[in-house]
Amino acid sequence: MKLYKKEGNILQVLSFPKENAEKGDYLLIEDPDANKALIAQVIDVQFASIPGVLEELLRTLPDGGEPIQGEDIDPLEIASHITYIQDASLLVCKTRATLESGSLSPCSSWLPSRSQSTIKKLPVPLLIKLAKIEGTRPIIVGGTKDSSLLTIDATAVDGTLNIVTGKKGCGKSHLSKLLVASLIGYKATVVIFDLNGEYTNVGMTKDGKRNMYYDKIHALTPSQNFKVSLDQLHLNVVMGILIHALHLPATSSREFRRLWKNLKEKGSLSLQEMGAAIRDLKCNQHVRDALSSRYHALVNSGFFTDNPAEAMLLDECLVKARDKGGALVINLRNTSTIDRQIVVEYVLGKLVDSLQSWKLKATFLFAEEAHLYLRETYWDDIVTRMRHFGIFTTFITNQPDTIRESIYRQADNIFLFNFTNEHDLDVVSRAARVDAETVRSIARDLPPQHCLTLGKVVRDFPIVARVRSLDMKTMGETRLFFKNINYRFPVSPYSAGRNA
Amino acid sequence: MLVIEQYTITTTPKYNFPQPTIDTTLPQRFLEQSLHSLKQVQRHPFQLNQQNIQQFDITEQPSSNLNLKRQPISLKPNHQETQIAAVDTSTIKIGETSTGIIIALRGATTWKQNQRYRYTRLGPFIFHITEDNKNEVYNALEKSYFNTLYTSNRHATPHLMQMPTRLAGLLERWLQIMLAKTVENGLILFDGSLTSGTIDTPVQCIKDILTLARRNRSTVLAFSKMTSLRVNGYLITDKLPKHEPPYLLETTGVRFKPPTVVLGGVYVAKLNRSNYAFRLDIDREIPLQHRKAAVERLLGNDLYMQGYPETLRLSHILCTFTANEVLAIKHFLTRKHGIQLVNRPDMHKLLFGPFGKGELS
Repeated sequence: MKLYKKEGNILQVLSFPKENAEKGDYLLIEDPDANKALIAQVIDVQFASIPGVLEELLRTLPDGGEPIQGEDIDPLEIASHITYIQDASLLVCKTRATLESGSLSPCSSWLPSRSQSTIKKLPVPLLIKLAKIEGTRPIIVGGTKDSSLLTIDATAVDGTLNIVTGKKGCGKSHLSKLLVASLIGYKATVVIFDLNGEYTNVGMTKDGKRNMYYDKIHALTPSQNFKVSLDQLHLNVVMGILIHALHLPATSSREFRRLWKNLKEKGSLSLQEMGAAIRDLKCNQHVRDALSSRYHALVNSGFFTDNPAEAMLLDECLVKARDKGGALVINLRNTSTIDRQIVVEYVLGKLVDSLQSWKLKATFLFAEEAHLYLRETYWDDIVTRMRHFGIFTTFITNQPDTIRESIYRQADNIFLFNFTNEHDLDVVSRAARVDAETVRSIARDLPPQHCLTLGKVVRDFPIVARVRSLDMKTMGETRLFFKNINYRFPVSPYSAGRNA
Repeated sequence: MLVIEQYTITTTPKYNFPQPTIDTTLPQRFLEQSLHSLKQVQRHPFQLNQQNIQQFDITEQPSSNLNLKRQPISLKPNHQETQIAAVDTSTIKIGETSTGIIIALRGATTWKQNQRYRYTRLGPFIFHITEDNKNEVYNALEKSYFNTLYTSNRHATPHLMQMPTRLAGLLERWLQIMLAKTVENGLILFDGSLTSGTIDTPVQCIKDILTLARRNRSTVLAFSKMTSLRVNGYLITDKLPKHEPPYLLETTGVRFKPPTVVLGGVYVAKLNRSNYAFRLDIDREIPLQHRKAAVERLLGNDLYMQGYPETLRLSHILCTFTANEVLAIKHFLTRKHGIQLVNRPDMHKLLFGPFGKGELS
């Protein structure tokens, strides 16, 4: 390999066929005189612009379009040299860091010698070692192209905002489960908004047996094993549900607040009492109607109960998860949009309460397709206010444009799977910790189950890895009509027609 | 001393012509000379050539008796299945050494049979030519190719810069002989004219080629892309009558200063409605009617782009060196023979800046 050009932080390296460099590979460009080396990542592989190649290709095609047949008597065997030159490639690389005296610095302002520099591939294990990516609490993400493991440090996910994105069916949920399992393995508290009920069986192996996480997975299905009584609720949480999920106007909200306080003072905070209070409320008819419709929405959600035996204490689950590490899976499958928002408002409100009162130290929140249940104002809340309380969110989506730009700009880590759509890639490339060229070029060619890891967890050295398999019931697979159906037409419909 | 590498000069490759009935083995001497000359330059630095030269045509100085008959000979394509074969060679200077030049040459024959084009390409052969070895290389090759020295001693000291063309001419003549020997009842197309007696076209050699072709009932047609023949100050290919192509215009009185002689009848051929006409030389020993019939069979059996036969065009295209191949040859020289490439500054550019256009300008 030979250094050809440098423009800004883009390097062009000439590579010959046997050198086999591919997109995502790292190169070490060592300048012996400067006694330092540049670390660059291949973001695109192009044909080198060799003069005369067009003529070479054209002359094999006569007017008919078929290649001309013939024999080449080439006693000096020059042909192999011709193909060697013809197949030379140009590696477009992004400089990532400078290696000097064994330590890395992000600076790449110097220019290595074009004639003296030696270029070789930098194996991922060596890069991981140099960049100190592994850390003390390793999470094995998967295998890299050179058969080594990509191991990230769990502490690099701590206090961060993460995004897992890619097109449908490429393994996003699988990676999320891997992260969840690894985090609870380190006794972390994890809360998952599980839109499709995929995480409820993380504690089971593929063949239905209990795995090591079984006791740490607490699957909560609203209106089934997850109900709350009004007296468990803090007024702020209820007001959040009414205003944001049920869109209660300001005047009615003031009236409800008064009504709630009265019931609480009387010690009769129940659905039944509240229904009666609203009925008997002496106020504007519109206000009463507004309160009455919201009350019925709460009742019909089935999430609230007056039966103390049915009521479930979320705090207890959180404390359990805090002590031993565990995941609260909020199963939002089969839940209507409004009910979903009510549940999410409740859980988030409760989490903030627990964190504010230091009942919880911090929690990792995994939110699948968050745009389907997260209210507008929460997006900014999550990246600013809630992060300071200790809610560290991971968004998982196959529609990257549903996540706000401000989230991308503040994301610390991005786990990017394949995208072919330019628009999707444009959205993701707005993230502050990645460069647009890397995202566009590498993500477009990622095979399924391969993830480009970007950000803090890889110390800003984007690394591609095939996500390792997990022995757990994933249930993320799409239900298919034709799967396991052996029925076939007895005869071809066309041949039947002919016979008739 | 240790043998670190051995060249694989084993069996001579068979030169696969359409009807390989005669001795058509590629003389091993060409390859041996090529390797031998390269060994002399091993581990010597060499200067990259700054201006590649491809083979150039013979410049002719005809007599003033030249006439062009104004009555065109109309042609009618004859579709009777006829084998058409063409030959062309190319040479290029790869670079300079302290004692000489490194050149590459290649030849190609193309033929059309059963509506399909096929080719055989020979080379590239790479030579290191110096003042010391130029005669040795040329004479050894000529002798081994033709079992005779066609070029007498009067041409014994060609200029070094003429050697690429002369060696390419040698290869081309050998390929022409092979076609003349093997193509039966067909048409053999040459690039250039049937003018002989120049340094690269010994009269006897061209006569032998034409005799061999006639013996096999084949006709040699030589197409010149450029001509210097003029009538009344105009190039013969420029002043054309208003006549529906295809047609031939016959010339008379084409004579050159001795020892140059023309062994063909010289015509202007306008084979289709494109704007181009070419000088066409047809073996003079062939009766006039047969000459016309040969061109008509060519019209009925080959394709034409800008009035030029496709078979000949392909031969030219296939033997021409592309920039990519020149790079590959330089790569071969560096890797296989340890020849270092050095870049000596171009004095024209150095002295005259943007006004210096290179050595040949």
